[in-house]
Amino acid sequence: MIVLLLALPLVGAALLARATGRLGTGVHAVTAGATLVVGLVLAVDAVRGDVRLGLDGFLRVDALAGWMIAVIVIVAALAAAEAPRYAAHGGHRGFHALLHLMVFAMLLAVCTDDVGVMWVAVEGTTLASVFLVNFERTRASLEAAYKYLLICSVGIAIAFAGTVLVYFAEVIRQQTLAEHVPNALRWTALLALAPSLPPRVLELAFVFLVVGYGTKAGLAPMHTWLPDAHSEAPAPVSALMSGVLLGVGVYAIARFKPIVDAGAGAGFSGRILLALGLLSLAVAAAFLWAPGNYKRMLAYSSVEHIGLVSLGLGFGGALGVTGALLHVLNHGLAKSVLFLLAGRIREAYGTVDLAGVRGLLAALPFTGRAFLIALLALLGLPPFGLFTSEVMIFAAGFQQGHPWVAGGALALLVVAFGGLLHAVHGMMLGAPPAVAAVRGSWMAALPIAAALALLVLTGLAWPPGLADALALAARAVTP
Amino acid sequence: MTTASTLLAFVALAATLLLVWRQSWRGRVRLFVVQSCVLATLAVVIGLLAHRPALVVVGVVFAIAKTWIIPRVLHRMGVGSPLRRVAPGRSEGLSVLAAGALVVVAYVVMLPITGVVAAGVPTRSAMPLALAMALIGLFVCVTGRDALGQVIGFLVFENGVFALALLATYGLPGLVEAGAFLEVLVLVLLMEGVLIQIRREHDSLDVDRLRELRG
Repeated sequence: MIVLLLALPLVGAALLARATGRLGTGVHAVTAGATLVVGLVLAVDAVRGDVRLGLDGFLRVDALAGWMIAVIVIVAALAAAEAPRYAAHGGHRGFHALLHLMVFAMLLAVCTDDVGVMWVAVEGTTLASVFLVNFERTRASLEAAYKYLLICSVGIAIAFAGTVLVYFAEVIRQQTLAEHVPNALRWTALLALAPSLPPRVLELAFVFLVVGYGTKAGLAPMHTWLPDAHSEAPAPVSALMSGVLLGVGVYAIARFKPIVDAGAGAGFSGRILLALGLLSLAVAAAFLWAPGNYKRMLAYSSVEHIGLVSLGLGFGGALGVTGALLHVLNHGLAKSVLFLLAGRIREAYGTVDLAGVRGLLAALPFTGRAFLIALLALLGLPPFGLFTSEVMIFAAGFQQGHPWVAGGALALLVVAFGGLLHAVHGMMLGAPPAVAAVRGSWMAALPIAAALALLVLTGLAWPPGLADALALAARAVTP
Repeated sequence: MTTASTLLAFVALAATLLLVWRQSWRGRVRLFVVQSCVLATLAVVIGLLAHRPALVVVGVVFAIAKTWIIPRVLHRMGVGSPLRRVAPGRSEGLSVLAAGALVVVAYVVMLPITGVVAAGVPTRSAMPLALAMALIGLFVCVTGRDALGQVIGFLVFENGVFALALLATYGLPGLVEAGAFLEVLVLVLLMEGVLIQIRREHDSLDVDRLRELRG
């Protein structure tokens, strides 16, 4: 089953590298649909507590991995539904293929039990998406692609050094270098050994890992590539990057946290994550008061939300981690919808300047309303899911004895809230300029509406089993 | 084994320091090749002394990738760019001084770990040297005002991390090592594509000209 899930996007990408035109769109749709269905079936099994193994334990899907698979395939399906609009523009045949390749790399990163292969897969996501960032081949997108490639590669190499140090800790523990310990980098093996690993080595390793994977996750101060790459990429790619790729970076950190906590005590990793989370919130809040470009605004808001997720993990406890995981899904849904709609707004208005977009509600009734609703969800207003997950994260902060951190973060959140609201107020109202007609159909509206409905579901009425699933997934991070 | 690995790591670090001092692109690529050669030798030596045939293979693959394929791509990247200082406005002396300070930092970070707990690893005493190489590479990458300087900094950094893996754990399991090699190769090729486009657009690889995206 896991092998099938991984094979689908890979085979799809291989076929799409050749196929063009209507055939290409068909293969793309089949691949995206099949990945969604298989992924959801696997994820539902996993979050019910059914740990699946594949390829002799090399692939392992537990509740945490299952949760991430669900987020990945849902956001990937949203992005895929919008992709054909863009693939036609660029004249490249590679667009769909690279999109599926990126999905494959993300799925591999969460499905494998081997932290070394997870590293390879996370690096693979960068390589697969560089061309997608530079899809429009303008000066700005070129610059964004260069920064993205360089900064993320450096970051991921730092994470490699962290992985080496974890392995080093294990080697010291075994007191032997005579032969490679089989399956030495398996997460399950590391977790079992963790209490007896040397704490100093683990601490140093965690610093490297947080800086490295934190770069991919977009945590400040390693976030500098993010606003450029996310704002210059075509909308489906931005949706995929902001919606789940950041979450995959956080996932990698979350996998190492229990190992470090078991070996070096819980306080160390938590303090680092809290500091980076607060800094990310501060950076985002400062920028959100003066955005010039609505795609950059959305990108900085991603820094803010990844900061919140990092706070949730840092506060720890079942509540904090549960809130963080739920927030990854909620943010993924809201942000991918917003990026997709931003792409349509850009198509209509022909600009990404905030000042150029006026009277959205009057000019584009469906897109405008959906953008407003998704933005209110992003701001953390009830009845949407982000409200629930933010409440959980802050409650965890007060519960775990970090009232000052939680209070400070809350204040920064309010600042960011004000900035975003101010910007959007301008976009929605006013007299619209002449606007190009946007092809609208129920087909285009359906995925957006479905995602918004899901957000209401995670906020207002949890489907049966969601609480258990989240608790089970969180147990992989805080045993 | 301890002596051989420390000696080789030391030579590699010396090459890295020279690379900080050299400002011409060709000279830097040549020093990168020297550093890579030394590290490939290190892999082969450790592989022979510790009876790890896999590590000898890694050393050979590393040598092919880093002293032949990647330098060829690097030369193609550098073609046509004027022979000017890679880091203008900075004296070489200051850069080397900073690199020297990074060696001290590497020892401060690594000694508590390698000195006390790592008794079972004979190559541990060279680990700070590898971290120093990595840090210096990062320094070159961050201070490079030119895309070429940043790329070579990144590659030196990558080599340092590779050396760290060799010295700490005799390399990582084969699958991971292979994946890492493949990705460095793809990355360098992608980087070449991006740099060619940047040069076509801006007529230069000066990163100060990349100023479309601010805020």
